[in-house]
Formats: sequence, structure tokens, C-alpha cells
Amino acid sequence: MKILGCFKVVPDLDLIVEEDWNIENHLHIDTGYAKLIWNCFDEGALEMMLRLSDLSEGLNVVYKLSALTIGRQKTENFLKTLYALGFSEGARICVEAEDEILFSPEMISEGIANYVKKIEGQDVILTGIQSSDGNNKMTPYLLAEKLGWPCITQVIGLEPIDEEHLKVTSQVSGGCIVRKVKTPCVFAIGNAPCSYLRIPTLKAKMKLGKRPVTRLVPEDMGMSETAENVRVTALNPIDKKRNTVVIEADSPQEKARCLYEKYLKERLSEL
Amino acid sequence: MAIISREQIVEGLEEILGKEQVITDEQVLKESSLDRYRKYEQVCEVYTQPIPAAVVYVKSTQEVADVLSFANENEINVVPRTGHSAIEGGLETALKDSIVIDGSTMNKVIKVDEYNMQVTCQCGVPLQELDDMLRERGYTTGHSPQSKPLAQIGGLVATRSIGQFSTLYGGIEDMIVGMEAVFPNGKVCRIKNVPRRAAGPDIRHIICGNEGAICFITEVTLKLFKWQPQNNRYIGYKLDDEYMKLGFDCLREVMVEGYKPSFARLYDAADAQQHFSAWLEEGKAILIWMAEGPANITPAIEEGIKGLMSKHPELEEVDPALIEKWYGGLNWGPEQIAEEKEEILATRNIGITTEVSGSWDNIYEIYKTACDRILEEVPDMTLMGGHSSHSYINGTNMYFVYYYNVVDCAPEEEINKYHDRINQIICEQVIKYGGSIVHHHGLGKARAKYVTQEYGSSYYMLKTLKQAFDPNGIMNMGTLIPLRK
Repeated sequence: MKILGCFKVVPDLDLIVEEDWNIENHLHIDTGYAKLIWNCFDEGALEMMLRLSDLSEGLNVVYKLSALTIGRQKTENFLKTLYALGFSEGARICVEAEDEILFSPEMISEGIANYVKKIEGQDVILTGIQSSDGNNKMTPYLLAEKLGWPCITQVIGLEPIDEEHLKVTSQVSGGCIVRKVKTPCVFAIGNAPCSYLRIPTLKAKMKLGKRPVTRLVPEDMGMSETAENVRVTALNPIDKKRNTVVIEADSPQEKARCLYEKYLKERLSEL
Repeated sequence: MAIISREQIVEGLEEILGKEQVITDEQVLKESSLDRYRKYEQVCEVYTQPIPAAVVYVKSTQEVADVLSFANENEINVVPRTGHSAIEGGLETALKDSIVIDGSTMNKVIKVDEYNMQVTCQCGVPLQELDDMLRERGYTTGHSPQSKPLAQIGGLVATRSIGQFSTLYGGIEDMIVGMEAVFPNGKVCRIKNVPRRAAGPDIRHIICGNEGAICFITEVTLKLFKWQPQNNRYIGYKLDDEYMKLGFDCLREVMVEGYKPSFARLYDAADAQQHFSAWLEEGKAILIWMAEGPANITPAIEEGIKGLMSKHPELEEVDPALIEKWYGGLNWGPEQIAEEKEEILATRNIGITTEVSGSWDNIYEIYKTACDRILEEVPDMTLMGGHSSHSYINGTNMYFVYYYNVVDCAPEEEINKYHDRINQIICEQVIKYGGSIVHHHGLGKARAKYVTQEYGSSYYMLKTLKQAFDPNGIMNMGTLIPLRK
């Protein structure tokens, strides 16, 4: 079974300095200096692929794991990490100006769909449900539509059955549902139980991580034909300030009493 | 070992301090039996060290004196602590039924003396709060270790801490003015605040760096400096990793020519990718400096450093704005620790640091041979690198940074299979080439086993100090001087 993990490399937004969130008079936030990390949902999806592969040991199912990303050259280091973890194929659709596709899930899903149709056929595709910078939350749905495949969201577990089926656990309102799913299918990963990707050893990186990455041109993947249909017109920072009251009293006991009487008593009585 | 029972220890402490200040909650005791040297055991919540009898929170110098006198009379091991951010085993309770004396509740800033440029605080004042308060007034302690959001004044002095701007301001030993400390027999000693004196040996250094093995630090007076961030200048160059030796030479050139940047750093390629991966190519090391101080001095330092570096065609200048923004996110606080714990549990991958120092003529060999040996001899390594972050006229430090996967190994075995082994290799290489095995984290218990090699013939002085001030052997036993097996 051929499984493709689609991932995005994003800046660590926790490292953005406060003044860079000041977006008056321009429509761009400078994240160019922040450390690059796996998009958290994609990271969970990639680890899920590896765990599925681990579970297949001893079974009569072979999983061929591949990975695809769309972005600048820096993202190839991440593909090489996946090689070191046992992925057999790694491809990058070369887009240096990543900001230009930040809000373009249409283009991104078109690129992935064409990769699957033209370059490397797949049985299963895993993606994170959204990226931490674009937050469009549309790519897996659009991708499934373009391929004409079903899409299951909020997947939290995959287990092997046979060459054409997987046991899929997904979260639904009020619980979990376990299904036997026939491939092909797109799985969107949200709250993965394993949100961190394992780390390859330096020896594995030396042995497996030096294979070349397949580089693809966006035009060949039909990305230029998909018109950008979203344009940023304004950015507003989230106001994180909260109204605060400082309780002043002579002793901790008095402060606690004041907190209870004024702020908690009524609320607790409503419980 | 205590000559009274665990129950009698708790009863005695409650008589001195009252029940509220004596903590015997099992989870608190377990968490107080170790520090971040046993990070893997800590995140797995596996506790292999003897569990202390109590953690006591002290509110005054007198209470410290009373607790120490009680422990001394009854031969109970005590472990002094404040911020609990130690990472070399200094806070491990190595003996049964120890008392952990926590000074974090002694957290008053006693006096900010802007005329004499010094600030006096109790041992439990958090450095972050102190420096934030001082910066609002236009001053700084000049002390900014990565542990700034966690560390407190007593622990910083006890471990001979150093901050990121040490090349300008020095280590904590250069910042301390006077101190108050309590010795095991309950004797309270105050060293007065004067700019300098030559009245015999500098006895501050019996206290500074004692790691809780000689006395409990209750009060510290530190120097103040003007805080002028608007004048800061940043300088950065990238170079191929194979030119690390040249990188050390560049650090040396700047020091030897007499410049005083506030930080001076050299990251090898592996470590650099952890900080600068957004824009730095793989395989590139990086050199960075920051100039701090009056407006007419920082441009001169910048110009001088750039002039020196222009003679090296192997270097390529980087945008100083990238260095400035990186510098904004350098510290390590409770949020990072919580996130790290989650990540370690999920991936079984753990990152550790070990800091050493060497002279200009041996630091490269220390760095290179230690890295090579670790990669050759230790399994499951996922990252091996490091950086130099504190330079002097005669040498620099090396901060080894390493990550490994914990494979086929119970939490209680991890320390032997990986961490101690790596520490051993680093210490062996440092001793072989003539450096120091400890630059600024303290010997703790982790590196106490190498103390005789580190000190050579001067070990006599350290041992004599310990015996003189702590004849009953109650102060943080196993730290500085290893326990007899």
C-alpha cells in the first residue's frame, strides 16, 4: 500500500518578537528569522504513518511511505529527516515565495492532486487538518474532491488490515468511531495522540538521509492554473489583554474571603 | 547519616518552624530528591535517589540558623536550594532522610542603592523579577543566564553562575559585593559591602560557588549597571563548519585586541541549526557578537570587530537584524520545561548540555575530540554539537549540546547508559587537554567524581575548607566532594 504524507514547514511563531506583531500600515508579518518546525498537525500525521508501518511488522502488508511538501529549499532538510526515518520517497514542489500561497488551499490541493495523478500514484494520503500559519482548514477536503476520493477527518488511529483496507479510528461528536476503510482515501489529522515525530539517529541520517529529493515545478503541477482567489486586505492583532482586578487586603485569609464573596459565590451557586 | 529517626526529624523541624513551613507531602518530597541532571527520570516520574524527610521553607536568616543547628546536632544531611533549576545533580538528596532547605520564600529586595550602584536582596529573589524591576529604573544586574526565568539569587551565587553578557559584565563572582551566609553550626556571617579591599584573602569566594556544601546563602548584594539597550549593536558572520578552529581564533582576536562586546558566541553547524534554521544553510557555523554600553562606544566596538573580521575571506556577514531577533527568544522558562517534558515522553529523545572551559590553545581539541569520541562510543545519538558563549583574554568556554534517543532502556538505567557516559567522555577530554570540566553549572554530584583530577594538588584546599566549615558532614553531601562508597 502506498501512503503519502503531505506536510508543511512553518516558522515557530512562539519566537516572533512582540514588535513584529505590530502590523500597522502593512500586510506582512516578518517570520523570516524564526526557527522552522513541522506544522504540528502534519507532524502528528507523519508519526501516525510510521506507527502504522511499525504495526505491519509480521503481517502480510507492505507500506511504502512517501512525503510531499510545497515550499522553499530549506524544507528539504525535513524531507531528508523523513528519509532517515524510513520514508522511501520525498518530493518538493518548489515555491520560494511561501507567503504567496499562505492563503491558497486551492492551489496547494491542486499541486498535491496532480502529483498523485501524474508523478506517483498513491492509495492513501495523510495531511494535517490545517497549518499553524495559514489556518485555512480546507486542503484535505479540496484534495479529496479533486481526486474523487472519500475524506475522513479527525483521524486519531490507523491500523493495518490488508493491502486494500485500513482500520481507521476517528473522533466524532461525543466519541470515537472505528471503521474498516477501503482505499483510496484522504485522512485529515487533527488531535493525533502522537503529536511529535520521532527523531532519527545521526547514523541513520548519514546512511539514509543523503538521497536526493525530487524537485517539481509548480506550473507542471497545475498550480499556476489555479487562480489565487483570496487576497489579504487587512490584519488585526488579537487583543490578549484581560480586565484585571487586584484584590487588596491585609491577609491572605481576607483576600480569599473577598475572592469568594465577590467573584465565586454566585457562580458556584449556579453549578 | 542522621542519628535520629525520620519522624523525629520532622517533629524537630515542626518545633522550629511550625507545621506550615515543613512539607512532607510524598510527591513534593520525591520531586525534591533530584534536579534536572536526572531529567529523564524526572519526566518519567521515576525516583531513584533517597527521598528526603522534609522540605522546609525558611522565612528568615534566624530560621536558617536554627534549622542548620538542629541538622548539625543530629547529623542530618541538608540540601540548600532556591530556584530548583540546577542541572548537575547539586540538588539530589544523596543521603537518607535529608532536609531540603528552600530559601525561595526569602524573596525581598532589601535595598536598591542607585548612588552606590548596588542592590541588596534576600536569597529567594527571582533574577527575572529583580532585573525587570531594575530595568524599569534604567539599571540592570548585567546577569542574564538562560535560566533567568527560573533561577534565584542564592542559587546563582552558590553555583558561580554566569550570564549571556559575561564578556562585558563578568560572571556572578565579578558582580557580588557583600553577602550573608549561615554555616552548619548556626553561625551567621556577613561580609560588608565595599568596592574592594585587601584585608587578607577574598572570603566571598568561600561562599560563592560553595554549591550548598559549606553554607547557606541568605543575602547578596550585587553591583548595578546602566541599562542602555537602545545602543546595542549586533554583528554576525557565517562560516563553513570545517572552519571551527578559525571561529575560535576569531573570538580570540576580538578579546586580544581589547574589545569588550557583551556577548561573543561561536555555534558549530549542528547547534546553529537549532537556533538559526530559518535562514542559515546546513553545514554552516556562525559567529555573533553584541556590543552594549554608551552610545559612543558600541559603534566603535562594532566597527573594530568588523575590521578584524574583514581580514578573513572565509567569513560571510549576516544581517544583524536576524541576530537581534534571535537574541529576543533565548531564555528558558517554565513553559519550555513543560513542553520539553511532553516531547521527551512522546519521542524518548532527550537533549542535555555540558559546559567546560579551555585556553585558546586547547579549546578546539577539547571540542573536536569530545564530539568525535561521543559519536563513536555512545549509541543512539541524534545531535552532537555545541557553542562557545563566554570568552576571556586567555580562553573561552565550550557548551556541548547533545541529544539522544533512549532505546531499550528503563528510566532508571538511562543515566548509566547515556548521560553519565557522555559526561565521562567530555570530562576525560577536558582533563587530557588541560581545561576545566566545569564552566558555570557547578560540579554538583554528577561531576564531583572528577574533582581530584580537576583540582590536582589544590584539592587539599577544597577538602580542608569543607572539613573546617562542615566537620559533621551535613552540607549537601556528595556535592563538590564525592561520597565514599
